[in-house]
Amino acid sequence: MNVTGTSSRDNFFMFCQQRFPVRTCAALSPFEHPSRLYCKTASLQDNAAAQAKETLQRYKDRPWDYLGSEEYIEKYGTNPVWAGYRRNHKGGIPPQKTRKTCIRGDKICGNPCPICRDPNIIIHHQNVKLLQQFISPHTGMVFDPTQTGVCMKQQKMLNQAINTARDHGLLPFQIPYVEFSGEDYSNSHDAVGSTPPPPCLTTSDTWYTWYREITPDDNEVAKVKTTYKAFLK
Amino acid sequence: MAALSTARCLFRSYSRVKNVQKSKQILMKCSVRTFCSETQDNAPTDNAKPSFSDPAVQDVLTRITGLDLQKVFRPIKQELKPPAYQLMTDKQLEEAVDLATEQAKKLLQMPPVLPERKPINDVLCEDKMLDGMDTAKYVFTDITYNIPHRERFIVVRQPNGTLRKASWEERDRLIQVYFPKSGRKITAPLIFEEKNLKLVYSQDRHEDVLDLCLVQFEPDSSEYIKVHAATYENLDKHGKYDLLRSTRHFGGLTWYLVNARRVDGLIVDMLKRELFQDAVSLVSLFHMVHPHSESAQEAASQQATGIDLLKIYAQKESQRSGYIELALQAYEQTAAEGSAA
Repeated sequence: MNVTGTSSRDNFFMFCQQRFPVRTCAALSPFEHPSRLYCKTASLQDNAAAQAKETLQRYKDRPWDYLGSEEYIEKYGTNPVWAGYRRNHKGGIPPQKTRKTCIRGDKICGNPCPICRDPNIIIHHQNVKLLQQFISPHTGMVFDPTQTGVCMKQQKMLNQAINTARDHGLLPFQIPYVEFSGEDYSNSHDAVGSTPPPPCLTTSDTWYTWYREITPDDNEVAKVKTTYKAFLK
Repeated sequence: MAALSTARCLFRSYSRVKNVQKSKQILMKCSVRTFCSETQDNAPTDNAKPSFSDPAVQDVLTRITGLDLQKVFRPIKQELKPPAYQLMTDKQLEEAVDLATEQAKKLLQMPPVLPERKPINDVLCEDKMLDGMDTAKYVFTDITYNIPHRERFIVVRQPNGTLRKASWEERDRLIQVYFPKSGRKITAPLIFEEKNLKLVYSQDRHEDVLDLCLVQFEPDSSEYIKVHAATYENLDKHGKYDLLRSTRHFGGLTWYLVNARRVDGLIVDMLKRELFQDAVSLVSLFHMVHPHSESAQEAASQQATGIDLLKIYAQKESQRSGYIELALQAYEQTAAEGSAA
C-alpha cells in the first residue's frame, strides 16, 4: 500500500530535491527510497506525520521567519511562492474559480495550490513579505486566484490577512483625497450647538399636561362601568 | 418617524420663541468663528491673535510649502491604462504646465486647523413614563438628503426615558452608516494605536498617517488633533521635515511648531537646504503670531527685513543660534562672491 495521504507533498519535496540535489537534511532521507516493503510503510507514515507536525510547529509562532530561512531560498529563490505553479484543468480556458479547498480533513488533493503544498507557509497579517507577493507592485491590487492558482479558501484567508495588515499599517495602500472647501465648522446650528433646555426640565414640570397623574371623574367612571358591566369581573 | 417630526417641529417652534436668545448666541459665536475667511470683516489687530485662516498667514504658509510638481504628481498605484501620448508645441507645453500648477495648488489646499469641539450634553426631555420600557437605546436620525451633516438632528432615547442629543462620536458613527464616505470606517482603524503608529513612523510614512487621519476623523475631533500632534512631534524630534514639504500637511506642521515656539529645527533644516527666503518668511510668521516676544519687538524697532530678521531671531530666541549664524555668514560670503564675480 502506498502512502497516499502525503503523496503530493512527497512529489513536491522530490521535485525540490531534483533542483538542488545537495541536501544534507537527514530528516528527509526516508523519502528518497520509497520502500515497497510492507513492514516499513507503517513506520514511514509515522515518520511523515511526526515531521509534518514538527514543521507546522516550527513556524507556528513566527511565520515570517520561514521567508528568510535557507529552506525557503533553496525552494523558491527570489520568485514569488506561486511562480511556476500550473493548474490542472480540462481545455484551454481555465475555470473562472479555482478549487474550493485543497485540504479536506487529513486528505490533501493532487496538485495542491502554492500555499497548501508547503505547510511552512502560514498566512498571517504580520507576515508582510508573503502578503506582498500576492499584491501587484504596479497597481496595488490583490492578484486574482486564477493568476496565482491558490484555492478559494486560502484566497479568502489571504484577503482577510491583507485587510488586517492594511488596517494595522503594515502594508501601504493608496488613500483617497478629501476636499475641505465649503464646509462650515462653526457648530452654531441647533443640532450640534448648545440649546437652552426646555422649561419643563428646569421647573420639573411635565411636557404635556396629560403626562401628569390624572384622576378620572367619578361620574364618567361609573358610566363606563355600567356600559361594560357584562365584561367586568 | 412621528417622534422625529415632532422633535423637528419642537425645535422650529423653539427657535421662533427663543429668537432673541438665538440671535444673541449667533452674535457671540461670530467672534469665535475660525474657518470663515469670507465673512471676516475685522482685520487682525495687534490685540487679536492671528488665526490659521487669515489670508496673510495662509500666504506665508503656501510660500513655505513650495510646489514641487514631481512630488505632487508622482505616480500612484492605481488601475493601469495604456498611456496616451500627445505631440505639443512649446507654447502648448507651457499651457499644460500652467494647468498642472493650478491643479497642484488645488491639491495642496491645507486642511483646516480648528479648536477641539465642545461635547454635546443637551437633554431635550425627561419622560419618566417610559422608564424601563425597553432595554436598548433608540437613535433617531434625520436622513433628509439635502442638509449638511452639521445641521442634521440626531437624538437618542435612553432606557430610562430621557431624550438627549447624540454625542459627537455617535453622530459621526451614524452619519457614516447612513451616508458612507469612501475610505472612512465606522470604527477607527488600528493604525492609530500607539505601537502601530511607532512602526509607521519608523518606516517614514507620516504623510500616509496624516492622509488617513483626514479621511477618518472630523477636523475638530479630539483624535484628529491628537494624531496630528503626535505626528508633528515625531517629525520635529527626528528632523524629518522634508517628508511633508510640498504636501498639504506642511502648513499645519509649521503652524503647530510656531504656536509651540519650537521653530529652531525647521529653520536649521531650511538653512541646510539653502532655502533662505523660506526661513525669512518663517521668522516673519513667528513675529506675527508672537508679537510680544523679544525678537519680534527688536525686529519691529529696527524695521529689519531679510537676513537681518534671521540674525535677530538667532540672537534673541533660538537655542541653536551658533549654527544659524554660521549658515548666515556662509550665505553672505557666497552672495558677496557672486556679486563680485
